[in-house]
Amino acid sequence: MTSSSGKIALGSRRRLKNRKISNFVMLFLTGLLTILALVPLFWIIGYVVYKGGPGLNLAFFTQLPRPVGIAGGGVLHAIEGTLIITMLAAIFAVPPGVLAAFYAARNPNTRLGIGLRFSTDVLAGVPSIVVGLFTYAFLVKPMGHYSGLAGAVALAILMLPTIIRTTEEMLKLVPQSLREGSLALGAPEWKTSMNVLLPAAFNGIMTGILLSLARGMGETAPLLFTALGNERYDIRQIVTSSIQGKQGFFQMVTRIINQPMDSLPLTLWKYASQPYPERVAQSWTVALVLMFFVLFLNIAARLWLENRARKLRG
Amino acid sequence: MRKNLFVIPAILLVASFILSACGANTASPAAGGVSGSNGTASTLQAAGSVEINGAGATFPAPVYTDWAYSYQSVDPSVVINYQGIGSGGGKKAIIDGTVDFAGSDSLLTPEEYASGKDLGMFPTVAGAVVLIYNIPLAKGVANPATPLPVLVFDRQTLVGIYNSTITQWNDPAIVALNPAWKDYLPAADITTVHRSDGSGTTEIFTKALTSFSTDWKAGGAASIEWPKGNNVGGKGNAGVAAAVMSTPNSIGYVEISYAISNKLVFASLINKAGKTVVASNESVQAAMAEGKFSDKLTATIVDGASDGAYPIVGYTYLVLHTSSMTDCVKAQKILEFFKWAETDQNASARAVTLGYSALPDSVKTIVLAKLAEVTCNGVPVLK
Repeated sequence: MTSSSGKIALGSRRRLKNRKISNFVMLFLTGLLTILALVPLFWIIGYVVYKGGPGLNLAFFTQLPRPVGIAGGGVLHAIEGTLIITMLAAIFAVPPGVLAAFYAARNPNTRLGIGLRFSTDVLAGVPSIVVGLFTYAFLVKPMGHYSGLAGAVALAILMLPTIIRTTEEMLKLVPQSLREGSLALGAPEWKTSMNVLLPAAFNGIMTGILLSLARGMGETAPLLFTALGNERYDIRQIVTSSIQGKQGFFQMVTRIINQPMDSLPLTLWKYASQPYPERVAQSWTVALVLMFFVLFLNIAARLWLENRARKLRG
Repeated sequence: MRKNLFVIPAILLVASFILSACGANTASPAAGGVSGSNGTASTLQAAGSVEINGAGATFPAPVYTDWAYSYQSVDPSVVINYQGIGSGGGKKAIIDGTVDFAGSDSLLTPEEYASGKDLGMFPTVAGAVVLIYNIPLAKGVANPATPLPVLVFDRQTLVGIYNSTITQWNDPAIVALNPAWKDYLPAADITTVHRSDGSGTTEIFTKALTSFSTDWKAGGAASIEWPKGNNVGGKGNAGVAAAVMSTPNSIGYVEISYAISNKLVFASLINKAGKTVVASNESVQAAMAEGKFSDKLTATIVDGASDGAYPIVGYTYLVLHTSSMTDCVKAQKILEFFKWAETDQNASARAVTLGYSALPDSVKTIVLAKLAEVTCNGVPVLK
C-alpha cells in the first residue's frame, strides 16, 4: 500500500519535473521567437537611422531641394505636401467613413448594411495603383492638371475601408444597454449616436482613423498618377505671390491645394531611382523623416488616447 | 471634448506653416529679387505667379530640374516643375492635356500625332548609351600585372552578343578585338541584361543594333521581344546596373550620365568609320553634328559615319502643343525657358557636368527657328 502510494508520488513528481522542463523549453522558444519577430522592426529602424542619420540637419526640413552637385537643400516641399495631402484625405474620408459605419452598426442586416460591408471589404482589396489610375481618369483628366487635391482623393478612397471597418467594430463593442438606456430616457436616435455611442467608442474610432492616416502617409503608388510631384512647391512662395497678386483667400487656398505636389514617399521613390549617389543618400534621410512622421503619429495617438482614458476614469 | 477631433489636423497645419516660415530666408535664390535678364514683362509679375508643369522621360529629368532651379534667378515670376514619369507617361499626359509640356526620348507615333493634334517635338539635349560589364577572372588565373584596358566591341560583335550568336566571353571575335584580355576572358556563358521597363534608352540601343547589322531582327523600340538566349531584365538604369554587378559574366546597357556618376567602367566601341571611340561629350557632339532632321524635327543619330561619332546616341525631346495653347502667358514662359536653356552658356555647361551633351550650334539654330513658329491664339509666342 505504502509502496504503491510512494510510486504514485514518485510518478507525479517526475511528471511535474517533465512539465517544468517542457514549460521552460516552450517559454524559452516563445521568448526567442518574440525577439526574432521584433528583429525586423529594429533592424529596419536601425538601418534607416544608420544610413539616413548623417544627412539629417535643420536645412533638410526648411529648404527646397537643390540640383545635384550643389550642396545643401532639403525636402520642405515633400513635408508640406505630405501634411496637406494627408490632412485633405482625412477631411474627405473621416466624416463619410464614420457616418457609414454608424449606419452599418445600427442596421447590420439590412440590404444596404450588408452591401456596405461587402463593398468595403472589396475596396480594401483593390491595389492602390488601381485607385491612382481611377482618380487619374475621373479627376485629373477632366480637371486638366495633376494636383495635391486629386492625390488626397485617391488616398481618401484607400483610407475609407479601414475607417469604416474599425469604426463599425468599435461601435459594436459599446454595450447595447447604454444605447437602450439613452433611448429609454427619450433621447432621439441621432442624439444617442452623437452623445452616447460616439464618446463610448471614441478611443477605438480615433485609433482606427490614425492608423489609416499613417497608412495613407506612406503610400506612393496612388500619388504617381494624381499628385505627380513638385520640387518647387513652396507654400510660403504661393502665399506671398497670392498677396502680391491681390488674390482673395479662397483663390489662395485653391492655388495651395490645386497644383502638383510632392510627398515624402514619392520623393523617396524618385530619389532612390536617380543616377546620382548623393540623391540616393538623401533618399535614406527622407526614409528616416517619413518613418519618424509615422512613428510620431502612432506614439502621439497612443499617449493622447491613454491620457484621455485616464481622465475619463477620473 | 469634441474639440479634440480637430487637434491633430490643427497641429499638422500649424507645423506645415512653421516649417515653411522657417524656410523663408533660405528657400529660393529668387528671394533676392534678381530681375529678368532681358527686361521682359516678367519683372512686373509677382514672384512665382506662373506655375508650369511638365512630365515625361526620366532621362532628362535631372538636367530639366537643374535648369528650372537656375532659371529662378533669370525669371522669378515662373515656377517650373518637371517630373520624370517615363516617356510613355509624358506622351499620354500631353495628349490628355494634363501637363503644360512633356519630355520624351521616344518619338511620337503617327497615331499619337493624330490624337495629340498639333504636337511638336524639339530636341533639348542628347546622351550616349554605354555598355557596362562584369567579368571576374576564371579560377586559377593570376591577377594581371597592369590593370586591363576597357573592353572594345565592334558593331557586329555587339549584335552577336545580344542575338546570342556569340555566347562565350572567350569567343574568337571578342578576343580578336581585345588582345590584352587574351588570357583573361573566361570560357563562361555571357548573360545579357536589358531594361525590363519600356524605355527611351532601350529605343536608342535597339535602333543602333538595327542599324549595325541586318542580323538584328528584333527591331528598335522602347520595349521589344528580346532574342531567345541567356538574358535577364532590370528596371531602370539602377536595375540594369544592379543585375550586371550581381551576375558574373554579364553585360548591360545604361545611360552615360548614370555610368559616369556611379563610376562604372564602360566599353569602347568601334564605329562605322572603323575608329575606336569612347562615349564622351565630344563623341556625342560628333554624332549630333551629322544628324539630319525630318520635317517633324526628329532625327535618329545612331551609327554615325564620321570618325569621331559614338554610335549609340539619342536626343531627348521637349513635346509641346504648337498651336492650341490658350494660356499665352504660360506659353511664353515655357518657350522663354527652353530658349534660355538652349542659348545660355551656363545652362549648357551644367548639362555637360551632369553627363549630357548640349546641342551643337547648327542644331540649336534649327530648334530655335522651330520654337519661334509656335503660336498661341494664332499669334507667335516668342517675339
